[in-house]
This record gives sequence, structure tokens and C-alpha cells, in this order.
Amino acid sequence: MSFSDKIDEWIKEAETRPASALTILKLVANRLRDLSARNEELLAENIALQNETRVQDYQKRIVHLEYQLDLLKRRAVQGTLDETPGAETPRYLLACNAAGRVLRLPLNDAPPTGWQLQGEAVLSGEWPRLQSAAEDEDLLALFSSGRVESCRLADIPTAPGSALRWEEAALPLAPRAGEALAALMPLARLPLSDFFTQASRRGMVKKTPVSLAESILSKHFIGRGALEKTDQPFAIALTQKNGRVALVSYEGRLAGMAVGDLSFTMEERLRLSATDFIVAASVFDEEALLICVTQNGKIISRPAGSVELAKGGGRGQALIPPARLTSGTRFIGALATHKGDRLAALDANGAIRLHDVETVTGAGMLPAAAPLLSLGLIPA
Amino acid sequence: MKIGIDFGTSNSGAAFFDGQRVHILPLDPQNIQPEVVKTVLYITRDQQASIGQQAVESYYRDNVNRQRRFVKQWAGEIDYRGADMHYVRDIFVYVDELTPGRLLQYLKTALRKENYAGTQIFERFYTPGDLAQSYLTLLRQRAENALGKKINAATFGRPVKFAPTPAGDRRAEETLRAAAHAAGFEQVDFELEPVAAALDYAQTLSQPQTALIFDFGGGTLDIAIMRLGAGEAQTLASGGVDLAGSDFDRAIIAKRMLPHFGLGKIQHQPEILEMIQAVPDWMSLPNLATPFNRNLLEKAIRAKLAPARLQALQALIYNDLAFTFYNRVEAAKIALSSEGATAISLDDKNIALWELYTRWQFEADLADYVARVETVILETLAAAGLEAGQVDAVVKTGGSSSIPLFTARLAHLFGAEKIKTASAFSSVAAGLAIKAGK
Repeated sequence: MSFSDKIDEWIKEAETRPASALTILKLVANRLRDLSARNEELLAENIALQNETRVQDYQKRIVHLEYQLDLLKRRAVQGTLDETPGAETPRYLLACNAAGRVLRLPLNDAPPTGWQLQGEAVLSGEWPRLQSAAEDEDLLALFSSGRVESCRLADIPTAPGSALRWEEAALPLAPRAGEALAALMPLARLPLSDFFTQASRRGMVKKTPVSLAESILSKHFIGRGALEKTDQPFAIALTQKNGRVALVSYEGRLAGMAVGDLSFTMEERLRLSATDFIVAASVFDEEALLICVTQNGKIISRPAGSVELAKGGGRGQALIPPARLTSGTRFIGALATHKGDRLAALDANGAIRLHDVETVTGAGMLPAAAPLLSLGLIPA
Repeated sequence: MKIGIDFGTSNSGAAFFDGQRVHILPLDPQNIQPEVVKTVLYITRDQQASIGQQAVESYYRDNVNRQRRFVKQWAGEIDYRGADMHYVRDIFVYVDELTPGRLLQYLKTALRKENYAGTQIFERFYTPGDLAQSYLTLLRQRAENALGKKINAATFGRPVKFAPTPAGDRRAEETLRAAAHAAGFEQVDFELEPVAAALDYAQTLSQPQTALIFDFGGGTLDIAIMRLGAGEAQTLASGGVDLAGSDFDRAIIAKRMLPHFGLGKIQHQPEILEMIQAVPDWMSLPNLATPFNRNLLEKAIRAKLAPARLQALQALIYNDLAFTFYNRVEAAKIALSSEGATAISLDDKNIALWELYTRWQFEADLADYVARVETVILETLAAAGLEAGQVDAVVKTGGSSSIPLFTARLAHLFGAEKIKTASAFSSVAAGLAIKAGK
């Protein structure tokens, strides 16, 4: 049956029952709307194919797979390839401070009560940072001068026991004079990513194409990502071109932004008050739940879909009500979480505890004996 | 305790009569209509069975877009004997060893199929009686939970013509009786489904009348002409035909949907044409999911022979979308009882179908069936020795009785004022409960 025969049949229906004409019109109009949206997607795909960007995507994927293969080969050569198929690479929690000291804490063998950091937790006003990584990953360290260094996680010794001291921690990437360690980032997803995205303490953001990675790593320099002298680099992350980043400030401001909208030069994306600064820069996707934690452990969560993506700089969305702000409530960190994730929290007594994200978001509270200082995400 | 059970082709139900009024039992709380439980049975690899909406949900959860792994299994051998030669050839079949479970529909139709011995479900062979028993066991448990009492007896409904031949008819009833006994019903009796609907209708009558019961469900059309009211329920004649809702679904697919899977575009590939022609019969689709057929389809797609349509066919067969597809077609058919037009659509991995379907088209597709329905009505009237004008009321029940085309034909034959509508899905169960209660 040809399409014109079908149309004749629809007309016959409309002639037999005129009320059906409206239903037919609605159904055809809805279909046209759907097809129009699909047509646009296909045109975009066609453009991507013609511009060969799709080819580049595939090439990146191939590079990533080659990288994974290389990792497997390395493990096989070192005899660490598990005989049990599907066995996971051990994951570690990394606690690092501004002096470049890194504590590698085994997550698979975590003490039930967590770890206890002895001595001063805060150094030069910078709180320790928590980060998780797999054993076979490489790490990229960003220093306050804009210098970068990489090292293998396997080269950092595991901290023994549950009592920890910074003095006994490894110093794999020592800062130079006047420098501080600003951020530590696992590099495994480098070939799959499009940009390095940096954020500073004062809300400046910039992105750098991953295609420059070779030059960045060989010259050991990516830039501070901060304009003012008093500003400091705070975070670095690997992002996709269609990815999203959320900045969360100490005084409860939240700003979402699409990576595609970010500039290659530094740009102020979250305008902060004189006393405010960034406490978290999280890369998130559509399924994520963004949780912001106050120093008392109170959790304020936002589904990723509800985070507005601002095109330019602004004051962001206020998550802490003014009354609470006046009474001293502040955010100490924020994480983009998924089902099954865990988080690590460091408090002012130096205790590092692990929590299930679902449990703490359900309770709306992160239990802590002392004010919290820092958070780290442990993906499922 | 004794209840009435309407073991339908598409939907089933149960009811209890306390001497005053009928209580329709909510057997499927997950269903939109809890008093109706779909006649589907899902059996998992470890022989765990579920029915109704639970079966459908388990099937979707376990099967849609799942992985497959085919292994070659020895199925038997063929003995070739010629004039002076004799050789034996092994037969192998490809079996998907990752199949988590089987979903079975039309259990009642299986009872009357004379050449259907049963089916192998993993380690166990199920006869049609075994399948009915598995379903009825779970139905009884649900009814007991709803009533809070043990049920040991039931009056079952049965079509006027269970099977085309009298011997087949007896065999089907006996199979259902044995299955019901095995399912825990110690005492089992039967009543014709339209007679049961008539008993329910008779509750509403204040004076005697002659009624024609038009029970048009998912598997059969059953007609009974009865003298009802004032305590009497006399069957003057009954008739039936093996035709109903599932035939209409197949007709819609055969006439409207097959071009979406390549019919008309594929000309010289008989194996692919055979696959397309099998689409209306959803029970046969799982058997098409073999590596050989996949290879055939992939080659055709690579050769650009209607690639989008063949990819849709491949998705339908290999992504276990047949059940979803059939439900969409059935939903469109139901929608056309109240709307003038609807769309049959399915948008999933590698498949995007959309077909605008109007009531005019539906009625054109059913033209052949209307004549058969009218014939059986007139034959039953003749058997009762009545003229159409002597019938006081025509009582419609069953899902397919809501199709406006058939209502119009009944109105044409008997007069619109005589058409009465009973509950499409529960009037038979209610009548069976009244019979059981008496």
C-alpha cells in the first residue's frame, strides 16, 4: 500500500467521523514534531561526520582502549594480573596536603573505624584534600605556580595501620620554593576526555584542550588559571566537551556551567564576596546527585537536572539561607555522587571516615565528632 | 469454599457469591484493573512460575535487550530410507543458553489445539495441561489470599465451542478439568461462558425476557440465547466460533505493520520473507532468533536491502520486543473503540515504528470477520427457533464486544435499544460465582 493510499484512508475516516479529523491532525502534528527533532539530530550527526569530528571521537576511543590494554599488559608483566577474571584493581584513598605529602590508604582493607591523622591537619590555611584512585593509575599534580608533574600511584608507598602522620607520608612530588600542591588528579581517562578544566579559589575557570596534553606534560606547565596574585589554583579535572561543572563556594553559592561554554582563557564564572572562596569544583552528569556538606555535616542535595547552567559569570544560586549564613553555617565541600558511591570525610580531630552516599543522603546528615574539613568521593 | 473462575484467553478473573451479592476478587493488585489478571505465565530457568502483571514485569526485567549466547544442541536424527540405501542424519538446533525464562500466552488456546503436544521449558516438558495447571495453582493461591479462606472447589467457564470437533471439545474440557484438579481444586464443574454472563445479567431483571448473550473475548466468540428472569435460566440455543480479539491483532499486524519490517521491499530472499510473514504470530518469533537468521539479516542490511526495516525486524526478533510490539497493537485496537484514530508506535534500540491507524482502516481490516460473526448469530437464532425481533435484549460482554463495528452490527440486527453492556471482564466470572454459589 502506497503512502497516498494511506492518506486517502485517513481522509475517509475524517469524512465518516468528522471528530476524528482533529485526532488525526494532532497525531500527525506530534509525529512531525518528533521527526523534526530527529532530523535535527541527524543533521548534526551528518555535520560531525563531514567535519571528521566523529572520526576524532573514534580515534580517541581507540587511544583510550589502547591505554587500557597497555595498563593490562603492564599488570600482566608485573605479575599482578589477577587470576580471577573480573577481579577489580585495588583502589586507594589519597590524602594530600599543600606541602605535597601524600598518604595512600587502602580502601579494600580500610580499618572499620577509619584512619586517624595525628598532628596539625591544616597547613598554611589549606585543608588536606581527599581523592580516590586505582592502583594502576598515573596522577597529575598541579602546583600553585601552574606547574604540573605526574607520577605513578604504584610508586607511592601505602601508609601502614590506621594512625597516620604527615611527617611519615610520602613526598612523591615535592613543591618547589614558594609553591604549594593545589590539586591531584588521576589521569586514566585522559584519552577519553576533551579538556583539562581548571578552577581557582576565587571562581575563575578555564579549559585547555587535551590535545595539548603532550606539550603540557613535557613542559610541565599548564598555567595557574588565576588572575590575581592572591588567588590560587584550586582544582583540575578532565572533562568532556558536553560535560558540566559545578562550583560550590564556602558561603553556599552554587554555579553550574557547561564545559562547552567555558573559555580557553581565565574567566570569572562565579562572582564571590570578599570573604568567600571555592570549596568544590565537581564534574557532573545528568544522573548525578550533587551533595553539598556543611562543616557540621548537614547535607544539602540537588539532582543534577536542577542545577542551572549559567552562560556567563554571576553570583550563582544561594544554597544556604541568609539566617543560617549569619549563624555561621558554611560549606566545606561538595561532591557529584551516584548510586553506590562512597565518600570519605576528614574532621578537625584528624579522623577520616568512610560513608555510603545513599545512607548519608537519606539521613541528610554526615555523622562527625568534630567540624568537618574535607571530603573525597569514592566512585562505586 | 467454591468460587467461579473465568479462565480466559487473554484475561482471567474469579468471583465469589455469598448468597446475596457477587464479590469480584482482586487477583492482581499490580494491574490497572486488579480484578483482572492477564492469562500469561512466565517460567524461569529454575522453574519458578508467575502470572499476570508480575509475569509481564519479570519478563521485561529479565529479557528485553539482554545478551544471547547460542549453543548447538543435538535435537534428534532423521532416518533416510531409499530403494537400496539407508542412512541416518543428526539434527542440531541452536539454543540460547542465556534465556532466563519463557513467557507463555494463550494458554487456553493451547488446550484446544489438537496437534500441540506441549513445549520444552528448560529441563521440563510442559503439556498444555501442565501449563494450565501452573497458571491455575497460582490463581487459586491469589484467590485464597484475597478471600482469606481455603478454596477447594470451582465452577469454570468454558467456550461454547472449545474445539472445532466434538472429540476435541471433550478432550479440551477434560484437560482443563484435570489441570484444575492438579491445581488443588477438588471439585470442578463447568458452565458455558455466555450462560454464566446471562446468570449475572439475570440478577438485574424484574420480569422474564429472552436474551442473546454476545460474549466476544480474546480467543472465541460465544453466543447463547436464553430465557431469563423469574428464577428461570433456560438455554434455548448456543453457538460459537473460533474468532476473537487475538485474530484482530494478527489482522492489524498482517495488513498494516509488515511493511515496517520489509514486506514489499524484500522480493527475492525467501528466508527473510518467511521471517517477515512470521511476525503476526508472536509465539513463533523466539524460534526465529537463531544465529543463521541473524547472519542472513546482517548480510541483507550490509547489502542495503531495506536496511532500516530489516534492522527493525532484527531488533524485534533479537531484543525480545515482540511482546511489547503486540501489546502496542492491542492497545491501539482498544483505543479505536473510543477514538477515531490512534498511532501504533514502538521506539526502542534499533527500531522506530509509527503507524497512524484509523477506525475506518480497522473496520476495513475486519470486514471478513463481520460476515462470520453475523453468520454465527443468525445460525444460533435459527437453532433457537426465533426471529431477531423476538429477542428482548442483547447482552454484550468480553473485551472485543466493545468494538463499535460489532455493536453497530448488533444494533442493525436487533435494534439499538436492545443492546445492553455487561462488564467486559467480570460478568462471566460473576455468573460463574452465582452458579457455584447455587
